[in-house]
Amino acid sequence: MAWVRLHQRWPNLAASLPFVPLVFSWWLTAWLEVFPRAFFPGPGDVVLSMISLIYKGILPEYLLDSVTRLVVGASTGVAIAIPLGVLIGMSRRANTVLWPPLLFFQAVGDIAWLPILLIWFGFGLTTMTFVIVYTVLFPVVLNTVLGIRSINPDLLRAARSLGASQARMIWEVVLPGALPNIMTGLRNGLGYGWRALIAAEIIVGTSGIGFLMFDARRAGSVVEIMLGMIVLGLLWYVVDAWILAPIERATGERWGMVTR
Amino acid sequence: MVSSGNNAGLSAHNSQLMAARVRSAVWFLIPLALLVVIWAGVVSLFEVNPRIFPSVTSVWQAGLESVFDGTLVRHIGASLWRIAVGTTIGLAIGIPLGIAMGVVPAVASFFSPLVRFFSVLAGIAWIPIATLWFGYGFGAITFVIFNAVFFVVAYNALLGVSSIPMQVRNAAASLGAGRMAMIFEVLLPGALPNIVTGIRTGMGFAWRGLIAAEMIATDLGLGYMLFTARDFYKTEVIVLGMVVIGLLWLALDRLLLAPLERVTTERWGMVRS
Repeated sequence: MAWVRLHQRWPNLAASLPFVPLVFSWWLTAWLEVFPRAFFPGPGDVVLSMISLIYKGILPEYLLDSVTRLVVGASTGVAIAIPLGVLIGMSRRANTVLWPPLLFFQAVGDIAWLPILLIWFGFGLTTMTFVIVYTVLFPVVLNTVLGIRSINPDLLRAARSLGASQARMIWEVVLPGALPNIMTGLRNGLGYGWRALIAAEIIVGTSGIGFLMFDARRAGSVVEIMLGMIVLGLLWYVVDAWILAPIERATGERWGMVTR
Repeated sequence: MVSSGNNAGLSAHNSQLMAARVRSAVWFLIPLALLVVIWAGVVSLFEVNPRIFPSVTSVWQAGLESVFDGTLVRHIGASLWRIAVGTTIGLAIGIPLGIAMGVVPAVASFFSPLVRFFSVLAGIAWIPIATLWFGYGFGAITFVIFNAVFFVVAYNALLGVSSIPMQVRNAAASLGAGRMAMIFEVLLPGALPNIVTGIRTGMGFAWRGLIAAEMIATDLGLGYMLFTARDFYKTEVIVLGMVVIGLLWLALDRLLLAPLERVTTERWGMVRS
């Protein structure tokens, strides 16, 4: 009961508490040397390597690289996806022509594009941005279409019979109506885009957290791989809990669709 | 007489349904066929360098060749086998564990941030450490697939169980349901829609993880086929691989996962539009 009360009063504290026994048992396993130390370092080693990598300036730089790629890729993806989604959702003709290729290209998947992108653009920023744009695009388009389809037709007819122009229809009825779905799509898309970025950084390998991990793998340093994984996890947690979830909650509440 | 009349009506209805299905399949295929035509047209019109993008015929030939010498089948077989093994282990551990964690609300709220943290990392982020722990090859790749499926499914099972109304569980308990009956007749069915959604998402991550891992850590499989073709600028093999990957995932998703999800959500009266 005390736990439940704590959960209601300080959700952030309650959410981080479970990690205490996890880190402790991690430390204990490493300290008892259940696995060879080279394969399974303890939390102390990881913290030390984090301090040294921050001091050298490698970790902040790589982190900035990864986040920049994700932001640029995701915003480009959304900028293409929402108009495309509106087009497909509003026009039957666009739907029949574009929907099947969309499903097919979604199925091909971002990572399968890497080899041919490497041939086209070489090992660089363009390749990675392309992959992230590609990954974010599909969930947002599909969810935008879904959102537009789920708008109550009465609302559309009402707006139209009140004399709304096509532009105002889109701007004031269709887009706001589809917004909760668009947010869900964005969240899914970022989830996939995030993984695609790591894969691209591992394979393309110039900088970034994914590269840090794979470089460490080549050197056989498990400490830095674990550090990379922790940084990735924390970063996603921050993005998801502090940016995406509040926006999603706000749109959901505003639109009266709180699901809890 | 009456029954035969009914049968006639039923078969007419069935054939109508079939016709509708065929029509929608044709409408689905026409745009894709159009795409192929455009591809063929553009490549021959602008004389695109085959090192940049292959022609339709060269991809077709590469396809036939790899089918006849058996390499394509071997690559596909290796990839599917890894997916099957990793997913099976992931489900076998993830579902029971997720349900166990979700039974007591306090325990569920304790574990859910942990499982969520790891489900964020699931899949590709494990490739470096997996290859170090298990070496390059089957073990590392299967491990990546396993944990992509495991964490996402466990998290969703946990969510599913903790979203079952307490009244339902109390009612079952007061009607004398034993532990087994509780698990198999209340908790598991109640969490099933969430679990199935988790499976679909997890498999999506696993499929991408598979392709990425095969590019890095093996000498067999679809990802490997694509990545070695890149070394020799064999764009026709790359495009062939991409088409195969797309078709396989479409088949897996449409024929297995989507129907599964539809059946469970319909059965549970939560039809989604």
